[in-house]
Amino acid sequence: MQKTKIDNKFTVPIGPQHPALKEPAFFSLNVDGEIVTNAYVRLGYAHRGVERAAEERNWVQTQYLLERICGICSHIHSTAYCLGVEKLAGIEAPPRAQAIRILVAELERIHSHFLWLGVASHEAGFDTLFMYSWRDRETVMDILESLTGNRVNYSANLLGGVKYDVDSEQEDIIRNGLEYLEERLNYYLGIVTSDALFLKRTRGIGGMTRNQAEVLGAVGPTARASNVQRDIRVEAPYSAYKKYPVSIVLETNGDLEARFIVRVKEMIESCHLINQILDNLPEGELVVRMKRRIQPGETVVRVEAPRGELFYFIKSNGTDKPERIKVRTPTICNMSSVVKLAIGSQLADIPVILAGIDPCFSCNDRSVQINYQKRKKTLWTWEELRNYGIRYYNGNS
Amino acid sequence: MEILRNIIALIIFPSGLFLLAAGMFYEWADRKLVSQYQNRIGPRWFQPLADAVKLLANEEVIPDGSNPALYIILPVVALAGGLTAALYVPMAGFPPVYSFAGDLIVTIYLLSLLTLCIGLAGANTMDRFSLVGATRTLTQLFSYEAPFLLAMLGPALVAGSWQISEITAYTSQRWLLITQPLGFIVALVGLMGKLELPPFDAPEAETEIVAGALTEYSGRGLALFRLGKGVEMVIGLTLIAAFYLGGVSNPLVFLLKTLALLLVIAGLQALLTRLRIDQTVGLWWRYGVLLVLVQWLFMIGGRMVL
Amino acid sequence: MKIGAMFGDVLSSLFMKPVTEKYPKVRQDPPKRFRGCIDWDAEKCTGCGICAMDCPANAIEVIVIDKKEKRFVLQYHVDRCTFCAQCVHSCNHGCLTMKADVWEMAALDKQGYTRWFGEAGDIQYVLAEPAL
Repeated sequence: MQKTKIDNKFTVPIGPQHPALKEPAFFSLNVDGEIVTNAYVRLGYAHRGVERAAEERNWVQTQYLLERICGICSHIHSTAYCLGVEKLAGIEAPPRAQAIRILVAELERIHSHFLWLGVASHEAGFDTLFMYSWRDRETVMDILESLTGNRVNYSANLLGGVKYDVDSEQEDIIRNGLEYLEERLNYYLGIVTSDALFLKRTRGIGGMTRNQAEVLGAVGPTARASNVQRDIRVEAPYSAYKKYPVSIVLETNGDLEARFIVRVKEMIESCHLINQILDNLPEGELVVRMKRRIQPGETVVRVEAPRGELFYFIKSNGTDKPERIKVRTPTICNMSSVVKLAIGSQLADIPVILAGIDPCFSCNDRSVQINYQKRKKTLWTWEELRNYGIRYYNGNS
Repeated sequence: MEILRNIIALIIFPSGLFLLAAGMFYEWADRKLVSQYQNRIGPRWFQPLADAVKLLANEEVIPDGSNPALYIILPVVALAGGLTAALYVPMAGFPPVYSFAGDLIVTIYLLSLLTLCIGLAGANTMDRFSLVGATRTLTQLFSYEAPFLLAMLGPALVAGSWQISEITAYTSQRWLLITQPLGFIVALVGLMGKLELPPFDAPEAETEIVAGALTEYSGRGLALFRLGKGVEMVIGLTLIAAFYLGGVSNPLVFLLKTLALLLVIAGLQALLTRLRIDQTVGLWWRYGVLLVLVQWLFMIGGRMVL
Repeated sequence: MKIGAMFGDVLSSLFMKPVTEKYPKVRQDPPKRFRGCIDWDAEKCTGCGICAMDCPANAIEVIVIDKKEKRFVLQYHVDRCTFCAQCVHSCNHGCLTMKADVWEMAALDKQGYTRWFGEAGDIQYVLAEPAL
């Protein structure tokens, strides 16, 4: 443990293990009394080499690997991958499959935002809202379990379509569940905007102006809470979002209260969207056959994960294994805003500010080496990384 | 005979084993009520006992740079303060074992000795989390002790004495909750602040500073501190029930009244968000004292008029 | 701005039963589509091995004893399986299904985690010959 400095400022380490974090990350905060004067972030504790592992598996197996990058946004990773590979192969999934894909994606968005509501209120100290919102989250997970067979990692996609159909029994389950959820969501919207002590913890804290949000590159509900109109489902609709338009949810304040309001309203919007999809589900088959070898090419896919914009780059070289898959997740875009907003705020507000961007650290670990002296960026190949590891451990053993 | 009576009073009843058991029971009741408010099942009845037994069996690690003597002595002093304070309050409906003029002040001092020891223990270990936690504990002690003491003095004023047994003799004939409601509220909130229950648990905020001042404690020290907190809760509840809810005349009435108070306290715990340390201090240092002074104004004014 | 906005909910919870399911005393049936262990229908299998190729965890192995007479043995590693159901959909003949009621598979040793599907004589043949 580092010794504390004597000159009235010392460093409080948050992480890698800390009760405030659900996943490991390291924030080193210089604190003067209760005010934070400097912040330093270090990530990479959950790096598993997923992009490299994808190069060893064939196209069908890679989908399940990428689905397990994150537990709460697993379906959207799988959707982005399937969209990219289908684009490369030059086919399009049938309309019913596309509608079911975004049905599950919206259910996942509701599930993820409920989880976030509980975790953020737990960080702020409001344990009761945590318990109640996670109780209601069980309703969504039961819907997803009856639809796809599993509560997390739904594996609902296939390359070329979906696995599971929505019949009338499923539809009843979904509609009943959503009716209950919408009523609870309106109640939570009331609480988040009117509970006096909760507002003392969230109103005016961690405020980010629109200009700051654009400069720092924030995406997702974090940016939408600062009045930045960035929503991939609206700007660049993919899959069946062209048929079922989404209305964007914006707030102007940019503080924590605005982020709460944006996410709760997005959940209500998702409920309406799912009801709309169920009303107009197109008929047809569920899956289209795909070749096992994909022709060479490169493609880029952007989808709207619950946390923001998710970006996939897929490159194929004609075999049945992918050549390169690059994943850029939204949390790493929002992380710089945390570092910027932490400076000048109180120590007690840091966990809530961090929770306000909805961090998903298991998504966001990639490795890029920036060579400061030569001012150039290189991507390490497998050989270079392995040699570096051997040199490091031989030198420091 | 005197010596036997003293030994029984210190070790078995009302202090000692009975008080430790009562502390564990009330801690369990508090956790169970909070979980019932949150619509889930809480811990089983032996959970605090299991915690204490497991902690006593844990290895105690004395961190580098701290004073080992202080590290070991402070939990013992804290628990001793709590156990001694029980000798002067009407525990479980029986009259206090010892009593002398002015023992109200001594009791409240002994109760705050516990929080003081937690603050010192946090400052003793050279760990950033404990230092921040210790600062917060001492700040909160500062701003919640004074209103609590003033609220306890309300009944003392109308009873005309500083001795707990005389005050309880006065209050067992009338319910001061009705004539001094503001004082009751201040006493209740002051008790929650002293015990560091949510919404005033900034000194041991789990998501910010791990465990506050007790971060580096494990094993016997932690067990003693936690038992001390349970003991403080029992004594605090007894005092408020005795002063404001019409005295405690027999064990059954004692149980009912303290559990009713616990119901209200657990409800407040479940309902409110944790406040930041500057908000807790800023809030209560003004409003708490203000409410109590208004209450005193009414009391003294009422006496002069009637 | 009210203090204690959740008051109604919190107070009514005093009179409601807790929502916690008291597993394992109370068990709920899993839904029909629940993905548990796989089940193999030997009649329909042709030994193509696509299920083994497509499994992301290499949990299935198809051991061909005699392709003309359709004698196959399926070796299934339960501890490697991720229950993704890709094998169910990859198979062109519908040999595989997921059993919805087999999901409590915790055990104290790894003996039961390698399962063999097929005719009893075939399985013994495979187990006796380690070189297969």
